[in-house]
Amino acid sequence: MSGAAYGFFGRYLEIDLTAGAVRVRPLDSALVADYIGGRGLATRLFCDEADPAGDPLGPENVIVIAVSPLVGTNAPTSARGHMVFKSPLTGLIGTSNSGGGWGFSFKAAGYDALVIKGRSPEPVWVDITPAEVKILPADKLWGRDIHETTAELTAGFAAADRPRVLCIGPAGENLVRFADVANDKNRVYGRGGPGAVWGSKNLKAVRVAGREKIQIHDPEKYKSGYDQAMYLIRQAPVTKRILRELGTAGLVELINVIDMLPHRNFQDCTHREEDLERISGETIARTILERAAGCYLCPIGCQRHTRISRDGSPDETGEGPEYETVVLMGPACDIYDLAAITTANYRCNELGLDTISFGGTVACAMELFEAGLLPKEAAGGLHLRFGNAAVLEKLAIETAHRRGFGDLLAEGSFRLGAKYGRSDLSMSVKRLEIPAYDPRASFTQALGFMTSPSGACHLRGGYAVSLAFFGGNKEIPRFSLLQSPIAIRNMQNTGILQDSLGICRFTGYAFGSDPWSRMLSGVTGMDFSVARLEEIENRVAALERLFNLAAGAGPSDDVLPPRFADSAVVVAGEKRMVTREAQERMRRDYYRVRGWDEEGRPTAALLSSLRLAPIGRRPA
Amino acid sequence: MTGCCGKKMTVRVRFFAYFRDLFGGKEKIFDLDMGTKAGELLDLLGDSPARRDELSRPNLIVMINGADLASRGGPAAELREGDTVAIFPLMGGG
Repeated sequence: MSGAAYGFFGRYLEIDLTAGAVRVRPLDSALVADYIGGRGLATRLFCDEADPAGDPLGPENVIVIAVSPLVGTNAPTSARGHMVFKSPLTGLIGTSNSGGGWGFSFKAAGYDALVIKGRSPEPVWVDITPAEVKILPADKLWGRDIHETTAELTAGFAAADRPRVLCIGPAGENLVRFADVANDKNRVYGRGGPGAVWGSKNLKAVRVAGREKIQIHDPEKYKSGYDQAMYLIRQAPVTKRILRELGTAGLVELINVIDMLPHRNFQDCTHREEDLERISGETIARTILERAAGCYLCPIGCQRHTRISRDGSPDETGEGPEYETVVLMGPACDIYDLAAITTANYRCNELGLDTISFGGTVACAMELFEAGLLPKEAAGGLHLRFGNAAVLEKLAIETAHRRGFGDLLAEGSFRLGAKYGRSDLSMSVKRLEIPAYDPRASFTQALGFMTSPSGACHLRGGYAVSLAFFGGNKEIPRFSLLQSPIAIRNMQNTGILQDSLGICRFTGYAFGSDPWSRMLSGVTGMDFSVARLEEIENRVAALERLFNLAAGAGPSDDVLPPRFADSAVVVAGEKRMVTREAQERMRRDYYRVRGWDEEGRPTAALLSSLRLAPIGRRPA
Repeated sequence: MTGCCGKKMTVRVRFFAYFRDLFGGKEKIFDLDMGTKAGELLDLLGDSPARRDELSRPNLIVMINGADLASRGGPAAELREGDTVAIFPLMGGG
């Protein structure tokens, strides 16, 4: 490596699975200056390689995983990685972030990013160490679940030398469109179906290990940001104790209080308090929680390590459920059975299914069933009525293996609804299932779902209603058409920065950009002032938009499902919906604050200021 | 309490997260004078230094029947018979 690189190694790996070839390529420091790492860098490398018109499950799709210059330091929550791919669920950019230790170990192998292309003729896994990169047969791993695969590939190592494994389960192998990719067994790149892209390439796992260390340019500057960050994390109640005590499911009762908790495939937001108490964060903590834990380098600790005891069955242990899982597999299906939700969550973790899309797809199936559109025979003889908790675990297994009705569920809610002539019953944006916040209860939330580049995501515009609570003197009223576009632009930009830094959303409850600016500048020796970080956020947002435009997206994709414009829910005593006119106005204003034209295209002036060029279809 | 005519009303107060430990339960029912304001209820709840500290945090969230306090006019908002007031610290997740 060059002796001048601080915070990064100046090289990335490119693996062509078709040719079985590995290349080490130089990483220009200008890319770090313009995109940092993580989501920013991965998006840049992806857009340079991928064909926007290509088949997401064809060999032409490209997977890029990147880490940030902070990965390798002790910055709080900084071990995260980011994966970019063309999504088989949305047909647009797929962008997914995960905690866990894989990102840290990958960086310690001496690389800043990993680019995977082509398709192996046979199942393979990849072993990456500083000494060599090997592509190895995976025929004995194929068919095994995520926990088994991880155990197999980490067996026989002493704890200090134990490698980390990123892998898919049967769901990815079977090209389930919402299959995930997992590291540390239960930390997942969850949304948009990256597991199916891995499966389409016959790629089972990537194991990493190493002890390479980055150089830090200005340790004192870095430490000043670090000290401030740690102090603030220990001061803010959310990061100091609430997430550790209650997990993310602490939100269940809160989101209900503000009339936003989905019910019966988003048909209403009405629940009985005693039902919600059965699945709340408090109940999880009191009844099934064995211990809370954090991802690598995380002092916050929202992970739920749980145990389920059921009569007649041996105890089961695993991780979860988190808030989104509780609600999508729970009230969204009219289910309030914590054991059933948790057990199905365990199966999703093992088999490699995104719990949000799985729950949203089951909820859609239940509505189709109750409407008489989905015959019982087509549903494998199951009574898919709302509230039937007994089907959850079985459906997770069938979906991951594409068996019976599971083959249809594996396509996601949009394609399932379309098969029965009712794609409008898919509660999705850009075909990605909506997380656990009803958009009618907050215009800001609605716009967040509408404009996320990867579809309705809990990490890209999810929980936007929180802006109404903790904005301090910048609080955004929940129903402000005027303020929502700027609020969502800012919230999305914060997410881009966090994903590019490789750090967790939840640090945002304790502090903003300033400590990160000092840590990143201290590590790299580059100018990452807050103003420069904002420029980078806008650059990445524009680049993601350019890819989506080249992939065929336009304003008509930046909309909510018709249900939210046509039928009201009662919020704080008033009937609320998000009319098409309200959606159009917010979308138009959002494009303006982004510097995009009325068709949502970044203007030439914006592209020039961000030093970006439009993306066209790549020559075959 | 500012009162009028000696009439009383019932207001339900719900607590969330660690406020349940702080206030000794999930909820309390208060019989308040008609016309009692939200700010006066918060004063009533802040009956110890620890409770006052928490109720003074800038990120305290107070909802009345699902609507945030600011949209009801802030601490000067008059409570009504049957209101449910939810009080919680800033909570994260998602």
